[in-house]
Amino acid sequence: MHAVKRQMIMAITGALFLVSSTCFGAGIPDKVTIDSIQKYYSAVDFNHAAHINTLKDCGLCHHHTTGAQVNDPNCVRCHKNSGAQAVVSCKGCHAAEPFTPEALKRQRDQVPPIYHMDKVGLKGAYHLGCLGCHKKMGGPTGCQDCHKRNVSGDAIFHSNTYTPKSTNEPKQSHH
Amino acid sequence: MKQYMKRNSNTQIVNSLRTDNDRGRKWTFMEKLLIGLTPQQYIAQAVSNPFNWFLALVFAVGFPVIIGRFIFGLEWATGGPQSNAWGLFLGFGLFGMVPLSSSGFQMGSAVEVFGRHDMEPLERLGILNGILGYFFAVVFLLVDLGQPWRLPYPMVVSWGPASVLFLVAWHVATYLSVQAAETSTSFFEWMGWPAGRTVIKKMALGLAVAGIILSTLHQGALGALSSYAPGKIHPLWYSSSFQWLYFFVSSLPGGLCMVIVVSTIVIKTMAWRCDDNFKLNLDKLHISLAKGASMGLITYLTIRMIGVAHDNKWAYLSTGWGAWWMFEIGFGVILSLILLTAGVRKNNVTLIRLGAWTTILGVILNRLNVYLITFNWKHGEIEIPPLREFMITITIYCVYIATYRAILYRWPILYRWKTKYSEYAVLEPTPATIIAVVAEPEACPSGK
Amino acid sequence: MIDRRDFLKGCVACSVTAASISVAGKNAFAAGSFEGYPDAMGVLVDLTRCVGCRSCEAACNNEQKLPEPDLPFDDQSVFMEQRRTTPKAYTVVNKYEVADKNTLFRKMQCNHCNEPACLTSCFVNAYTKTKEGAVIYNSKVCVGCRNCMIACPFNIPAYSYSSPTNPLVKKCIFCYDTRLKNGRPPACVEICPQQVMTFGHRSDLIEMGHERIKSNPAKYVNKLYGEKEVGGTSWMYLSSVDFDKIGLDNHMQNEPIISNVKDFLGMVPMVLSIWPALFTGIHLLATKNKGEHGDHDHKEGDQQ
Repeated sequence: MHAVKRQMIMAITGALFLVSSTCFGAGIPDKVTIDSIQKYYSAVDFNHAAHINTLKDCGLCHHHTTGAQVNDPNCVRCHKNSGAQAVVSCKGCHAAEPFTPEALKRQRDQVPPIYHMDKVGLKGAYHLGCLGCHKKMGGPTGCQDCHKRNVSGDAIFHSNTYTPKSTNEPKQSHH
Repeated sequence: MKQYMKRNSNTQIVNSLRTDNDRGRKWTFMEKLLIGLTPQQYIAQAVSNPFNWFLALVFAVGFPVIIGRFIFGLEWATGGPQSNAWGLFLGFGLFGMVPLSSSGFQMGSAVEVFGRHDMEPLERLGILNGILGYFFAVVFLLVDLGQPWRLPYPMVVSWGPASVLFLVAWHVATYLSVQAAETSTSFFEWMGWPAGRTVIKKMALGLAVAGIILSTLHQGALGALSSYAPGKIHPLWYSSSFQWLYFFVSSLPGGLCMVIVVSTIVIKTMAWRCDDNFKLNLDKLHISLAKGASMGLITYLTIRMIGVAHDNKWAYLSTGWGAWWMFEIGFGVILSLILLTAGVRKNNVTLIRLGAWTTILGVILNRLNVYLITFNWKHGEIEIPPLREFMITITIYCVYIATYRAILYRWPILYRWKTKYSEYAVLEPTPATIIAVVAEPEACPSGK
Repeated sequence: MIDRRDFLKGCVACSVTAASISVAGKNAFAAGSFEGYPDAMGVLVDLTRCVGCRSCEAACNNEQKLPEPDLPFDDQSVFMEQRRTTPKAYTVVNKYEVADKNTLFRKMQCNHCNEPACLTSCFVNAYTKTKEGAVIYNSKVCVGCRNCMIACPFNIPAYSYSSPTNPLVKKCIFCYDTRLKNGRPPACVEICPQQVMTFGHRSDLIEMGHERIKSNPAKYVNKLYGEKEVGGTSWMYLSSVDFDKIGLDNHMQNEPIISNVKDFLGMVPMVLSIWPALFTGIHLLATKNKGEHGDHDHKEGDQQ
């Protein structure tokens, strides 16, 4: 019994330490390499520090998880005082594969069923978050401004070395 | 042939037994094929007919295009329209020709079911007009289908019974057989096979009733097919409740007027082939047909109006499409109605024949409007079919005309087949009998 | 004298035809009230998210092994004109200029209707609505009448007219063979960077769609396009502008297309059963006082 209790206390203390250290910036990375779902594009070298300097508000990207004040009325209902969380990275919550049968089943079976029902997948979270803000703030919005397309990407886009040879012909060719 | 007969008025043409040198001998098959002429005479008459030159020109240009359609594919022939999937082949060839072929069931049922034996001189023409129209509608379909060799699939391989087109396929196939049976009487007479003719004659009533059923359903079904495309056809031409009625009702005057038009062309261009029963009764019959056609037209006009009123589509009439709609109704229905009724009142067959032309043009225009011209009206532009599509359509239509004429030249459609030499004496009209017939138009020349 | 024998003959001749065709009417009755399979999947398309990158077109081309495109998929010049689906492209994205210099992109592909017009109009039953929600096509029986193209309210099926020997209907099949069958989302959904498309059970997606509108009423027009249109579709759309402005008919009927021909198909059995008796009866009345039936034959026909 004692051992269990002690472990629990240690765990909670550890968690609290982690949370507070994130809050106070001790564990904030200056650079993040976003490479968990690369397939057709190379990884993104994300300058975290520059974004923090520009935006100042962690909640713009991290919602309530960093303990920042939330304003969205839909979030406020539960997360007004929920404080900083152990997991703050995007991939910690947003699933890389949101539409597998298991993921759909998990979503269907969650209790209570209404919260976070419509949570976007990881790729969606990155792009909706980054691109949505870049559009508003005048940041780069082209696909390859952030990540270069790799060879397999070129292949499915029929671009660069895979450019169709018939490109110079008229588009609507009636034989 | 007409010019030839004028020049050689004493030529003996096939019409049953020879009357010249060896009297009473039956014609041989070869003689029948050449209408009783020698090969030299036959070629001479064919060459002297300018219409044959026109046909030759059309075929010379058109047949290679038809062959090309099967070698190079539909895209080569029709441009491969993705949004207006049905072009001239179906819009004109199928949807335009089938209503004009309703004459088969109307003439058949008038004589066999309703006992209008006075219609008999035109019965066979009406039925032939029916079967040829359907047959060539199927030819047009075969040219249009992506994989025509699969045409029997809806019958034998895979059934889609909830589909209107499934109904059309079955009905047209069945009805073609019914009409083939009905037409075969003249073929059997011509071939000299009385047994076949006797069998068919016994089935006449059943065939006529089957004709009514099948025609009611598939003439309507061709209209119901357009109910699949409610948002695509302009509202003035579309009504989900009345669409099948529009098509069915307009096919009635369409078919009758087609008989008037065809028999008018026949009497003008091949009077040599018509017997006196046909010639002397034609005007009277045209008046009877015109009465029927105007009844059909007035019904049609009424339901077209009800259709607009029912869905309250009056506002569309003030648009460009509305003007086009009023032209279709004004020319094809109201003008036709005026011409036909005036012709009936004044006993003026010229007016009737004019009215018959405007009626069939009106019916064809309506079908083109539904499936081609107003189709996808929201997209704003009317798709004009490419040249090769026109060429193929015209060529097939010319094959239809040539087939029609070839059968009329030979089979006893416009004349009666006499098998006993003695009948010539009785039935060849003398001036006296002509006077009798003219004086007593009610007298039914056949039958009694 | 016309007798009962003639009457019966007429009836028999007709009922032979009737038997083969009455199937049509009956089955048509059965159809028409179908609400979709309970576990059918669907896709919720949030058009406000689309940025017009055309990744979906590229993924579709790759997944369905379609021919090489005329232009690379990162070529934006295609947005100069409105495109439609073709035999070479089962999905296309179009750009719409909407109010105040705003643009909206719309991806178009088969919407996989609950009661598809292509399926119900097909006379060889070439289409199947699978329990997963996909509308798939059997190229082995297709005759090429193209009635499905006429009937489709969204103008989706395309025909490979260019093939002389084996032209076929080409349309999106929800990646049924390669993905949907195994519970995986279609290729376009998976590649989309913006998660414009959400894959899930259709019933969940309807709820989700309405929830998005409710939680952000300023952003969306209050309509989930495809929830009710033509009997409901598996693919449904959310938009920030009126659907008419982005090429979707806002006044599409809510009944499936087949209901438009139900009146007619319902009439078929009636005609088949009543007409023979009716017209044979009329014949009896019409010819009663006109002497022997059959006497009106061409007399000369009796060859010796």
